[in-house]
Amino acid sequence: MEIRIDNLTKKFGDVVGVEDLTLHIDDGEFVAFLGPSGCGKTTTLLTLAGIYKPTEGLIRFGDRVVNTVQPKDRNIGMVFQSYALYPHMTIFQNIAYPLKLKKTPKKAQNEQVRQVANVMGIGELLDRRPGQLSGGQQQRVALGRALVKEPDVLLFDEPLSNLDARLRLTMRGEIKHLQKNLGITSIYVTHDQVEAMTMADRIAVMNLGQLQAFDAPDELYDRPKTLFVAGFVGNPPMNFIDVDVSQSNGQCVAAADSIQLPVGKERGEPPAGYAGTVVMGIRPEDITIADDGNVNGEIFLVEPLGREDLIDVRVGPHSFILLADTDKQHRAGERVALKFDMTQAQFFDPQTERSLLWN
Amino acid sequence: MTARDELFDSGKLKVDEGPASFGQDIVEGLRLGFISLLAMLVAAFFFSGIVHPLFAFGSVEETVMDVLTRLALLAMPFVAYIAAASVARRYTSVNIARALLLASTSSIILYAAISAGHYILDYGVFAPRPSLEMSLSQTEDGIRVDAIVAGGAADVAEIKVGDVITAIRRDQVDMAAFNRRLSQSEEDAPLRLRFARGDEEMQETVRVVLVSDKHLSFLLPGLALGLVFTVIIVFLPGHWAPYIALVGLLAPLIVGYLWVIIATFSYRTEGILPLDGNDNLGGLTLKNWESIFVGNIAGLEFNIVPIFLTSLAIAVLMTFIVLLVSSMAGYALSRMHFPGRRFFLSFTLILHGFPAITLLIPIFFVLLRLGELPVIGDLVGFNTIGGIALVMVAFQLPLGVWLMKGFFDNIPWDMERSALIDGASRFRTYWEILLPQIRPGLLALGIFAFIGGWNAYIIPATYSIGSGVSNLPVFLEELIDATAPVDWNQVAAVGLFQLIPIFIFFIFAQEYLLNIYAGGTKGSS
Repeated sequence: MEIRIDNLTKKFGDVVGVEDLTLHIDDGEFVAFLGPSGCGKTTTLLTLAGIYKPTEGLIRFGDRVVNTVQPKDRNIGMVFQSYALYPHMTIFQNIAYPLKLKKTPKKAQNEQVRQVANVMGIGELLDRRPGQLSGGQQQRVALGRALVKEPDVLLFDEPLSNLDARLRLTMRGEIKHLQKNLGITSIYVTHDQVEAMTMADRIAVMNLGQLQAFDAPDELYDRPKTLFVAGFVGNPPMNFIDVDVSQSNGQCVAAADSIQLPVGKERGEPPAGYAGTVVMGIRPEDITIADDGNVNGEIFLVEPLGREDLIDVRVGPHSFILLADTDKQHRAGERVALKFDMTQAQFFDPQTERSLLWN
Repeated sequence: MTARDELFDSGKLKVDEGPASFGQDIVEGLRLGFISLLAMLVAAFFFSGIVHPLFAFGSVEETVMDVLTRLALLAMPFVAYIAAASVARRYTSVNIARALLLASTSSIILYAAISAGHYILDYGVFAPRPSLEMSLSQTEDGIRVDAIVAGGAADVAEIKVGDVITAIRRDQVDMAAFNRRLSQSEEDAPLRLRFARGDEEMQETVRVVLVSDKHLSFLLPGLALGLVFTVIIVFLPGHWAPYIALVGLLAPLIVGYLWVIIATFSYRTEGILPLDGNDNLGGLTLKNWESIFVGNIAGLEFNIVPIFLTSLAIAVLMTFIVLLVSSMAGYALSRMHFPGRRFFLSFTLILHGFPAITLLIPIFFVLLRLGELPVIGDLVGFNTIGGIALVMVAFQLPLGVWLMKGFFDNIPWDMERSALIDGASRFRTYWEILLPQIRPGLLALGIFAFIGGWNAYIIPATYSIGSGVSNLPVFLEELIDATAPVDWNQVAAVGLFQLIPIFIFFIFAQEYLLNIYAGGTKGSS
């Protein structure tokens, strides 16, 4: 089912939930809505589900405008962060509930529920009640309940937030696998950018009720179109520093205080053409500690992550986060030289917060 | 293993404390005892000396303060014994002899101190008691005067040794009755005694005087009580204490219920003891219960079945309407935004605080007018079960609506959204998903409404005047009104009969009321 959202605005009184959102989702696509708390992603999802009515704009499922269609007539399945299982029903009754409401014959209900339960690996739990299940099992039941009525659209509202880290990893894989197999158009709301990056075909990054970017994960990572996207996508987040970029003799240089960084022509020219200070962004993996580095700083903090160390290096008033091998045994207070891979540097207009490179 | 090691092993003493010497423990116990004595005295003074004068113009507060003062003084010795025995309790599992010795020594000393206080202040057992200043003994003819204090009250009234007292005014008395009468008399109250002197029948008025005779022998019962109490405290398992306190506080209630139950099965009762015609223990009977079903109590003829059914109809109808309306209104108030929502909420709260009694007359007229309407009047008019139930529903609704709103507020939004997305209509979501989850609340409200309807008196009595409509409480009142003398044992039987459905209701509902649903959602909605 293709979903087309055009100029969607949802207000609660004077409070704006979502503003002027336009988004086209292809049939069978897995789209993630990514953004911090209160950015409007769940509001959008509930508007799609029909729980909220849009204030303005159009929502189309295929060719059908569904603005005023009741949730029950939209044929969607939804999985909630809180699972929202019905505690007074058994697992079987929980999963069978959508079928019961569709007036599916008892026999068919029984077959379909068992089939879905087996796919979800909860076949033996059908006689229990939600309270007797672990969080992971409950989440599978919730997923099974959403899938059993063979929905046109699957909606996920931060479904993994309440699970422990290890379980989250497995469920992540399972959901993605299931979605690809069934080919159901899915929308997945999350504030965890790792979830969004790993699962989604395309990610809609939202902030303060507005769509910041809608692109494939790699695109978002390599060519962020706004300062917000650059800062939100990627973990640890991108380093930002205010620089003046000047061009002389065909050579571009980004300068801030004592830091002088030569930039290639391709990336250096657009910011050099900008009058005034720009924001430069550089990802932690693009900075390395090397003897031939041209920026000298002092290690302020070392945070071991296991596979590598997260190191905070202070250069004058500026702070850079970077990743280093644990073998190097860096210590706080150590003086190091940093090498910047300027072919990966990003430049943003400090006023509009838009990228100077990708527009 | 030495005694000292045992002490440590028992875990009752910590190493740094160590077992103290006997003298030290006594001092410690007495110190605690005297501190509690002082505390209780201060409390008694606070009630009588500080709060009492503050409320000197109001009579209710005065009585309350009086009772509190007496309670504080009454409890004073026992609190002191408990405090002193707390020291002895350390040794109970180690050295029983030592614990007993410690406890009894300190309680004897404390008792001596309290008694000395009483002696000085003319209080307690030494308080002046009403007396006629003569010694008496019970004989077959009456109470014989054995001795008379020269110049005392009896002497002044010219009572002589050898007189046989038979009555006070016209009431025949024996020794026990005489003493009871005397102890209730105030100073200078006149008691007109009838007595026989030789063959002559005479009467004289004796004026009661207050005499305090400070016999030390009066102290013995108190001392014995104190010692027994202390020993019990020393050996009482600690975890029993809350239950004992609870039973003590509930004792009046328990005795009351016990009386009702015993009374329904006996001819007559003295206190809670069933007695037969000759004042002997026994005399159990089923006649009280029988008369309910036969339909004749002391000449008042009735049929219990329609009365019972009327009660049941009012209660069930009321429960049903209250549950339906409250849950729907509660749902709307919890989940929907509509103009006037806040006003409605605060208004119902005000209504809840409105005493029903004040609306009795206005509603009387409303029902009277309603009764004149065709069809509607037959359902909910004056003198109909429907009308009575409707009025009582109205008084129960504010509580119900608020209660239900609270329960709905606790159901996460996600649950409802999930049901809507699963394909349920809004009503079906309410009916199939939300209602089952507030089942404990529905049950609690249902029980409130049922008991309210079942026990309702004032509204059924007012709005069914002169009609055949009468429920159990109204009938009970009629029974007391219409029969003379009132047979309280039969009244008790009707009262207990009225309680039966409520007992049944509670027995079945208990499990549901205590059952709180768990799981199904996690985190916030």
